[in-house]
Amino acid sequence: MDTKTAAHDAFDPATITRPDDSLLTYYVLVAVASLVAFPFVFIPLFIRFKTLRYRFADDGISMSWGLLFHKEVYLTYRRVQDIHVTRNLVERWMGLAKVPIQTASGTSGATMKIVGIKSPEPLRDFLYARMRGARAEEEEQAEQEAEQQEGGVETVPDEALSLLREIRDALRELRSNRSNRSNEAAS
Amino acid sequence: MSERAEKAAEWVYRGVWRVLSDWFRVPEHPPTLPAAAGEFRLSFHPSRRYLSYMKLFFWILLVVIDLALLAGWIVVCIADAQVGMLLALPALVIIVVPGIIAYIMIHLRYDTMWYVMTDRSLRCRRGIWVIIEHTITFENVQNVHVKRGPVHYFFGISTVVVETAGASEREGESAFAVGNKAIMQGIGNPKEIRELIMERVDRSRSAGLGDEPSAATRREAAWGTAHRGVLREILEEVRALG
Repeated sequence: MDTKTAAHDAFDPATITRPDDSLLTYYVLVAVASLVAFPFVFIPLFIRFKTLRYRFADDGISMSWGLLFHKEVYLTYRRVQDIHVTRNLVERWMGLAKVPIQTASGTSGATMKIVGIKSPEPLRDFLYARMRGARAEEEEQAEQEAEQQEGGVETVPDEALSLLREIRDALRELRSNRSNRSNEAAS
Repeated sequence: MSERAEKAAEWVYRGVWRVLSDWFRVPEHPPTLPAAAGEFRLSFHPSRRYLSYMKLFFWILLVVIDLALLAGWIVVCIADAQVGMLLALPALVIIVVPGIIAYIMIHLRYDTMWYVMTDRSLRCRRGIWVIIEHTITFENVQNVHVKRGPVHYFFGISTVVVETAGASEREGESAFAVGNKAIMQGIGNPKEIRELIMERVDRSRSAGLGDEPSAATRREAAWGTAHRGVLREILEEVRALG
C-alpha cells in the first residue's frame, strides 16, 4: 500500500502532453498490417500522432489533434463516469495502452480516447481519485460545513437572515409605538 | 484413465497459461482497485456454471460442424475411395484440433474474466487478445439490469448489466465496446450482486450526473435554525399586533 501511494505521489499527469513515441511504431505496424492500403492508413495516423496534444489541468483534461480537420475535446474530472483501459497483444508487447474515458454523453464510442500511454495504471488511479464517488472526504467536508451553518456559526454575512432581523425589529418598533399610543389615549 | 487424462489436461492448460502470461502478457492475478486496508473488497470470476453454459454451445457447434465434415468425407470416400483414404488424416486433424483449441479458449476466457467490487466502485476485466478493464464508481451508476434467457435459466446464471448515464441499448454487447455500461456475465447469485450494487447506489444523494450542489449554493438555499428563529419572532410580533 505504501509503495503504491508513493508511486502515486511521484506521478504527475501534467507531464503527459504528447503520446509516447512508441505509438508511432505501433501506428506503423497497424499500417503495415493493412498491406496495400499502407499510405492511406499511415498518413492520417501519422498526422494524428504528430498533432496530438494532451493537457491535464487541475480540474479537467483537454486533448486536441488534426491538421486540416482540427478537433479538441474538453472534459472535467468530476464528470468522468467510466474509465476503461484497453490493451491488445501488440500494445502489451510495446507497453502501450489506450485509456478511453466516458462521460454521460450519448455518443457511441468513448468521449475521449487517450492513446499512447506508457503506464496506464498511475494515470487511471489519478483519474479514478478525481472522479465522483471515489472518495468520501469531499462529501464529508461539505456536510460539516452545512452542519456548522445550522449550528449558527456564521462565517459569511447572510443577507436573508439580516433582512429577517430587520423586519422583526421594524415590527417590534411598530408594536411598541402602537402600545405607547394606546396607553396615551387611555390616560 | 480419467485421472491421468485430467492430469495431462491440467499440465497442458498450465503450459498454455504460462505462455500467455510470459509471452502474451496476460495478467494472471485479479485486477486491483484502490481501497483502504480492511475495507470491503470482493473479487470473483463468473459462476462455474457459466463455464458449463459456454461448453454447451461449444459441444453443439462441434457436433454440427464435425458431422458436416464427416458427411463430406464419406461423400468423398464413396466417390473415390483412394482419395478418401488420403484425406482421412487431414480430415481427422481438421475435426479434432480446432475443437481442442476452442475448448482451451473457453477455459481461458473464463479464467480471464474478473469482477472486483469495493464500497465505492466496480472494476471488470475481460479478454485475452484485447484486454479491457472497465472502472465505474457507484456514485455514477444509473441503473442495473438483470437479464436471463431460457438457457441461462437452465444453468441458473444471469447477466448483470450496470449502466451509467448515456448508455444505449446497442452498445456494449460487442467484445471491444468501451461504452457506458459494465456487463457482468455468468453471475450465479444475481440477487446478491444486485443488492450489493443498489445498496451502494442508494447511498448516493445526487442524481449521478456530476450535479453536486456546491457549498455556496447550498448555503444560499438553506433556511437554517437562525432563520427559523427570527421568522418565529416575526410571527409573534405580528400576532401581538393584531
